[in-house]
Amino acid sequence: MSAPGIVVAGLRKRYGPTLALDGMSFSVRPGLVTGFLGPNGAGKSTTMRVILGLDAVEEGTALIDGRPYRSLRHPLTHVGSLLDAAALHPGRSGRNHLLWLAHSQGLAARRVDQVIEEVGLASAARRKAGGYSLGMRQRLGIAAALLGDPPIIMLDEPFNGMDPDGIIWMRGFLRSLAAQGRAVLVSSHLMSEVQDTADHLVVVGRGKAIADAGVAELIAAASGNRVALRTTAGAHAMKVLARAGATVAATGRDTIAVSGLPADRIVTVLNESAVPFSEVSAHRATLEDVYLDLTREAVEFRAATPTEVRR
Amino acid sequence: MRVALHAEWTKIRTVPSPLWLLVGTVAATVALSAGATSVVNCTASGCGGDTTKLSLMGVYIGQALVAILAVLIVSGEYGSGMIRTTLAAVPRRAIAFAAKAITLTGVVAVGGTVAVLGSVLAGRLVLPDLGDQALSLTNGPAMRAVVGTVLYLILIALLSLGIATAMRDSATSIGIVLGLLYIVPILVQTISDPYWQRLLQKIAPMSAGLAVQATTDLHSLPISPWAGLGVTAAWAIAALSVGGLLLRMRDA
Repeated sequence: MSAPGIVVAGLRKRYGPTLALDGMSFSVRPGLVTGFLGPNGAGKSTTMRVILGLDAVEEGTALIDGRPYRSLRHPLTHVGSLLDAAALHPGRSGRNHLLWLAHSQGLAARRVDQVIEEVGLASAARRKAGGYSLGMRQRLGIAAALLGDPPIIMLDEPFNGMDPDGIIWMRGFLRSLAAQGRAVLVSSHLMSEVQDTADHLVVVGRGKAIADAGVAELIAAASGNRVALRTTAGAHAMKVLARAGATVAATGRDTIAVSGLPADRIVTVLNESAVPFSEVSAHRATLEDVYLDLTREAVEFRAATPTEVRR
Repeated sequence: MRVALHAEWTKIRTVPSPLWLLVGTVAATVALSAGATSVVNCTASGCGGDTTKLSLMGVYIGQALVAILAVLIVSGEYGSGMIRTTLAAVPRRAIAFAAKAITLTGVVAVGGTVAVLGSVLAGRLVLPDLGDQALSLTNGPAMRAVVGTVLYLILIALLSLGIATAMRDSATSIGIVLGLLYIVPILVQTISDPYWQRLLQKIAPMSAGLAVQATTDLHSLPISPWAGLGVTAAWAIAALSVGGLLLRMRDA
């Protein structure tokens, strides 16, 4: 029996001179919400299109329950996906959009009405989709993803355009899908959208996964043995701590992050050199910090690109 | 395949534009045909010329609406991005493409038949009854012209579908199809050399294909009726092959 869920291994893809995917590998397991995070342009959407067999890759494989997507019979009963909520015919009603999708999988119209109820779109289902708000389109897209009652759900930026009510609904909804035992992959470029929802995070930058771990694990790793120090004599403090073997970095006007020395040793060093300080505390990273830390390089690379092009 | 066809049929019947374009095809075809037959000068010895061809003249304009309908079926999906939903639902692209082509064929066959029979009926009502067999469906050549014209419309639809799948963009595809159909006949008018004139008429999709409407003076045609329709079929097959191949090769 092959691995359930999605297994992506070593994807490489080039669009002209840019390397869109550069060895992308990760897996999405049943019963968990996996957050797929990265700056815009990091390769999240491309990866999702590859998983769905829409884009071809030069190297690597993307498997659904051990099989390539294109070999699946009635694929929407294996993977439900939402790539672009705006990809609709504006003149077709939401219900009819779901109806043709249902027919493409041999599903009955009864199933269409069920998913419409499930996403709370019943009152608008018979109206033309062209008149839907972005939030309503997202709900329609979620309904389409649920249509085949698939064990795997994959959503690209589902929080985009949702109002606060919708975001809260979406979070609860994703949790309940995972609680039903489904594998859920949700992409976002904002950590704040997924940090309370995801169990597992895949952080991507420059076309590859740069972190693939549980949420708690990631926070612990990023916090390390760092100590936050508050002092008005920042330059002096950094000098003496560095001499004592610590790695130091200014994090604010009067705050310094210190790693490589335990807190009690830091206090001793500072006292010996008569450096005044008001606070020494164990630093605890937030997921936001972890994310920014991990993706900094990728973002900097992207920001540098226009200069390189000019040259 | 069956489910893919069902999906395409549901798609085409749940938006208003295909129906309106079909209604427009019928209306434009019948109107132009009736107009053409009404200006004929009939005498006691007959109406002169090819009355069958004349009364089917409306396809000159009807085919443009059929082409637009066919283009929009695929390029409309590229415009909105819905093609990705289609190909995620039916990942085997040959099947997805075939389902579109078959659905289009069925729809145009129905609309084209109504348009062509409407034109024949209009011709009969407009022209004085001179015992002319040209508009009787029991007449062999007239029957061939009627059936051939419906087939011609289907082939134009498939040609348009192939081009739209290759080009992906509505405006570009419609431009290419209409250019292919109408520019060659205009060019022919400007060429004085009869050899080149006949050659162009033999290979252009419209002038060759509409040879199937001729019922008189068959020996003077640049190409025989069925062979002419065969030329249009070759165009359609070529466009479908290129479109289908690109659909399979390219990222969606």
